Amino acid sequence: MVQEKIRVDTLVVGGGIAGMQSALDLADQGYQVALVERDPSIGGKMIQLSKVFPTLDCCSCITTPKMSAVAHHENIQLFTYCEIQAIEENDQGFVSNALQKPRYVDVDTCTGCRQCEYACPIDVPHPFDRYLGAHRAAYVPFSTAVPQKALIDMENCILCGKCQRGCPANSIDFTQKEQPFEIESRAIILATGFEITPPDAKKEYGAGQFHNVVDALVMERLLAPTGPYGHVLRPSDGKEPDSIAYVQCAGSRDKTLGVEYCSRVCCMYAIKQAMLISGALPLADITIYYMDIRTFGKGYDQFYQTAQAMGIEFVKGKVARINEDENQNPVVRVEMIDEGSKVVERMHDMVVLSVGMLPCYDPQPIFGVRSAEDGFVLTPSINMAPCVTEHPGIFVSGTAAGPMDIVDSIVLAGAASAEAAAYLEANDGNRRSVKSTTNAARVTAHA
Amino acid sequence: MSEKEWAETLKRLREEHKETVARSQALLKEQQAKRKAIRKALEEGPRTVPEVADLTGFASHDVMWYVMAMKKFGLIEELEMDGEYYRYQLTQEKAK
Repeated sequence: MVQEKIRVDTLVVGGGIAGMQSALDLADQGYQVALVERDPSIGGKMIQLSKVFPTLDCCSCITTPKMSAVAHHENIQLFTYCEIQAIEENDQGFVSNALQKPRYVDVDTCTGCRQCEYACPIDVPHPFDRYLGAHRAAYVPFSTAVPQKALIDMENCILCGKCQRGCPANSIDFTQKEQPFEIESRAIILATGFEITPPDAKKEYGAGQFHNVVDALVMERLLAPTGPYGHVLRPSDGKEPDSIAYVQCAGSRDKTLGVEYCSRVCCMYAIKQAMLISGALPLADITIYYMDIRTFGKGYDQFYQTAQAMGIEFVKGKVARINEDENQNPVVRVEMIDEGSKVVERMHDMVVLSVGMLPCYDPQPIFGVRSAEDGFVLTPSINMAPCVTEHPGIFVSGTAAGPMDIVDSIVLAGAASAEAAAYLEANDGNRRSVKSTTNAARVTAHA
Repeated sequence: MSEKEWAETLKRLREEHKETVARSQALLKEQQAKRKAIRKALEEGPRTVPEVADLTGFASHDVMWYVMAMKKFGLIEELEMDGEYYRYQLTQEKAK
């Protein structure tokens, strides 16, 4: 059995926007980087989004070049569909045990043509489209996936072999197995991202049972040109909605969920989506039910004012409950604070829950890095060194450190790479790993 | 790998993944039946999702998912709106 060992300066765990930015910032300085991503493509949550606030730039247009830059950078080795299972420390730094999961596709010959996907007979709800769309059991993750390579979802595969017969490059390989390998690095950056509030968290909002009460990431997919429907339509029946409401703080600032913090992005993404819906459905009424509007970033408050001027209705009030009428229309029960706190029920075609950002990865068991009380990675000196963990040589980037928007994720990613570079130089500045054409950074040991 | 070796590999893997294969085969059977019913509902002309749901007896959100999946893979195409709903028809090539 051949076990591959890879030696780099820094291991970056997570291939979302923060991990990609940290990897690029280090690689551009000449450091060797291994970027490990558990999903079959890099891009993280950002590549799922339609547009970004406050500029309304197309998200795919600004994320895809970064994904491509990561994949083609001569100082970055990219491992997708791969997980870190354990690490050990020695006087040289860290040895991480990584596990390459089998794609059942030869990535060296696959061209991403999707012929296997067209040949496969099984439809599977697609997580990239928040389960509103489908992929086949043999599939390319999404249209701008990096790497643009197919994989087989063995959990939903009947092993009929149609993908193999459909593949013009003969790339299907059902004999692939999990492949362990080691990554030696002198520093580690954790960029493991976040999750959103689960759909069943709020019983009073329907606990995920109402098809027309969706989370904001669903609306991002509906607004994206590559989305599951190609339009903003109701998941229950395909109706074009005339009236859409946003419920703010649906998962943040909520003691009943144990999430007492503000997720910092929900006000802005709700305003952004409301503006985009106004463009897509000019006749639709859009209401945002809020407790407070928090628009603290550069250009953010002007963005809010623009939305108000566009006719988006902002209603100060906490939504107590959402019910559903016989036509699957959500009915919102809300206390209208600016109207003498009277309680009213208002019917909409769709409701979007402005869900919060939750921690999704506990680094303690593998990396020996503790989380703070809120569940995000603990950074003991939050004011002076917000990306430095309590473990020397391990840094944190992006939303693994706490709720933040894309702008702040990129700032923290740069800071994490600067901290990592300083650590590498301070500990052994003369022993940078050098990647040459003879592949000196790769050591193959026969175990 | 020869055709024979491929067939043997698939056979061995089907045995190894017996449980997931059985579950996926049941899912495929259900999907094929639903796709067939939806195709039948669309054979006589374009319909909206609620109309297909009425004709097939399936829940409208279920029809929505199937129609969107079939649209993605080129089996169904979208037409203009009829009131608040888009109408869908079988892709002309496939309908022939």
